[in-house]
Amino acid sequence: MAFCDLKPVRVNNDKTGMSYIIGEVLAIYSMGSQYPSVFSWDMVKSVSVTRRDITVNLVGTKKIINVSNKMFRSPEEVLRAIAIIEYHQRTYDFAYQHERRLFPLKSLYLECSPGKESYMGEGIIDEADTASSLIALLNFRLMKFLWLVAVLVALVLFGVLSYTIGMNRDNVLYFILISIASGGIFALIVYMITHAVARARVKSFADADLASKQVITFVISTMGFAACESCIYENRNLVLWSEADYFVESDKMFIIYKGRTPLAYIPKKVFSKKYIGGVSDIIAISLEQR
Amino acid sequence: MSEIRSESIDIRGQKVVLVSVKDGENAIGTCTMGASPYGGMGAVSRLLFVGNEPILNITCPNNANKKSDKIVSICPGFRGYDQKLYDIMSVCFTRLNQGETLVSGMKDIFSLLQDGVYAIYTADYYPTNGNGSFFWGGYNVRHEIKGSAEQNAAIGDENLYKPCFLMPTQSLDYYTAKALNAAEKEVKSRLIQGIVYHVSGFHSALLKGFHGAVACVKNNIPYKCAVIEKICDPYTDRSAEVRPVVKPQAPKSGDEGADGQQPEQETASQPLVIPVSEQEGITGFRSPSVKIPIELFPKDMLKVLLSSLSEYKPPHFGVISAKLEASGRKKAVSNNVLPLDVLEKAEQMPDASMVESAYAVPSLSDEELNCLLAGDVEHNGRVIISPNFYASIVTACNFLQFTDMKRFIDFSIAIMDNPELSATHEYVAQRVSLQEKNTKLYNFFKTVRESRDEKYEKILSAAYTFTTRYEKATAKR
Repeated sequence: MAFCDLKPVRVNNDKTGMSYIIGEVLAIYSMGSQYPSVFSWDMVKSVSVTRRDITVNLVGTKKIINVSNKMFRSPEEVLRAIAIIEYHQRTYDFAYQHERRLFPLKSLYLECSPGKESYMGEGIIDEADTASSLIALLNFRLMKFLWLVAVLVALVLFGVLSYTIGMNRDNVLYFILISIASGGIFALIVYMITHAVARARVKSFADADLASKQVITFVISTMGFAACESCIYENRNLVLWSEADYFVESDKMFIIYKGRTPLAYIPKKVFSKKYIGGVSDIIAISLEQR
Repeated sequence: MSEIRSESIDIRGQKVVLVSVKDGENAIGTCTMGASPYGGMGAVSRLLFVGNEPILNITCPNNANKKSDKIVSICPGFRGYDQKLYDIMSVCFTRLNQGETLVSGMKDIFSLLQDGVYAIYTADYYPTNGNGSFFWGGYNVRHEIKGSAEQNAAIGDENLYKPCFLMPTQSLDYYTAKALNAAEKEVKSRLIQGIVYHVSGFHSALLKGFHGAVACVKNNIPYKCAVIEKICDPYTDRSAEVRPVVKPQAPKSGDEGADGQQPEQETASQPLVIPVSEQEGITGFRSPSVKIPIELFPKDMLKVLLSSLSEYKPPHFGVISAKLEASGRKKAVSNNVLPLDVLEKAEQMPDASMVESAYAVPSLSDEELNCLLAGDVEHNGRVIISPNFYASIVTACNFLQFTDMKRFIDFSIAIMDNPELSATHEYVAQRVSLQEKNTKLYNFFKTVRESRDEKYEKILSAAYTFTTRYEKATAKR
């Protein structure tokens, strides 16, 4: 029942004169009509949320609710509407399409008491921190085979040089140096490209997710964790640890994973330094570290 | 400042009084508390609060399934709500008994509610928990309350029913014999005996009129309450065959709105025939006792309804939850004892099974009862009650017990005398043996006791209990 207390959102489309209410039910006021068509959430076939708009397809009717994010009065209202949709998605299990998120879907949350041992912090997620954490993670994985790539490139180049120019006592040393340097340069280029790709990916997540520009509340407790926009968060909403599989710790953040997908990025700097140990302990007790 | 609007609407000749509350004070209401500590992650806790006081803990099992009965108990340490709120209730209660209409009499209470649209009417209540216990003190121990599910499986999702059982909002410590004496004099002249706020299923929370409830039971006076019922559940009626809701007639039950002085108090007391809508989406919104098509809502009220929630946490939820989680709050059990005759009369009042059966079954003819006795669940090609024979017998017994005691006794004896219906013997014997005194039943149970026939094996203990009690009562006289 997490997020069940969010106030309904009213959206007006000035161009068409339609207005919509997204709440415990979905109401569509057509232009000129006095009474709305009202749909309960069990009449929803699918919902799609993109960075530009929200589309709700209904069962047994051609009516579609399509609201652009620009129609909302504030980003907080967009987030509230998305949270309401995700809360009902948990109950009614309709098809739900969304772009990649930095934080857990609201349908994963459960309302429960966080218990006595819980830590709470607030802050805007730093794109550079997230990127550097991902890169650090990438480095850890990349280093395993990057030296192999360098050696292979060096050997291949050495072979090519020997075959095309011919090897003798005078040039063998040059060939070795050129091959090693080329292998190193190639590895460096691969390293730089992967970093650039990682940065671009973080930037694209962040651009796709409105939450990247919002103040986020982070909670770590023995029951579960939360990483949710502060404007819609209530301190009893948690994602249970059983929803996550493992976590990775970098010097700047904890990244919680479900399968191979990051579920939440939790920056260390949002918690006071003296509490980092406690936060780390709870996560380590609750999840496997990789 | 709260914005209260009231409107009387007409649904095919039936008047329904609606009150909308905008920017309400959130002093009376319910809210969710999340996963229940008692039911694991599969149960959800709800809370009834009045002012800053958490009053009732309502555990909703099976992921808050609306068809599941709730587990209810008084919150630990509860000692009654704020004096300020108590005074407001008292003023409203006095106004109602001075002949003011429900809307004007309870206007101060409306501003204490959560935002939304409410149906206001009067109805007779049984001051019990629906399980044979007097409501005051009937929730001290956590237990499942029969009839507290939002959607009653026997009545069905589409049909309407009237809540008629109570939950307390005052601790039993509040009870005094002196106040009861005063109430006994007053109840005879009161127009309204109590003010209730609907909580779940057949159960409403009594806000005012506690001693009156005791006095009414003691003096066999119908307990007529002013009811506040939130309209928030969407419904869809596509079928033209919506069975009209008929208020079941209990032998002792008075009918509401009988005084005629307060026209809107008669609302929702008669069958509501719901117009069938052809529009897309849902047909309208409902509460247990009223269904209102969208196009019959006043426009402003519909906007309030669509922009509000069925329940939500009040701004002072932190204070309430801190009280609940505070250590040292002991269980709210009082040493006060209610009069024995009141408790005994409460046991004899219709329970939730009877009332729900009475709503579920429109009528039962003698031919239909004979079919059931013959082991058939159909009459003239139509299912009488349910395709399940056991469920049919249970519902038929409860229906007859509520509507016609003589037919109930005859039907029960006929069932218990038929060895082929032995699967239902135990239930029927347990229901019928709760009767205070009945010579026909005594003679039957006496025969059972003396015959020692194997076919009566399952009803032997009920027969012993009933005959012993009957003989003791006769000897006393």
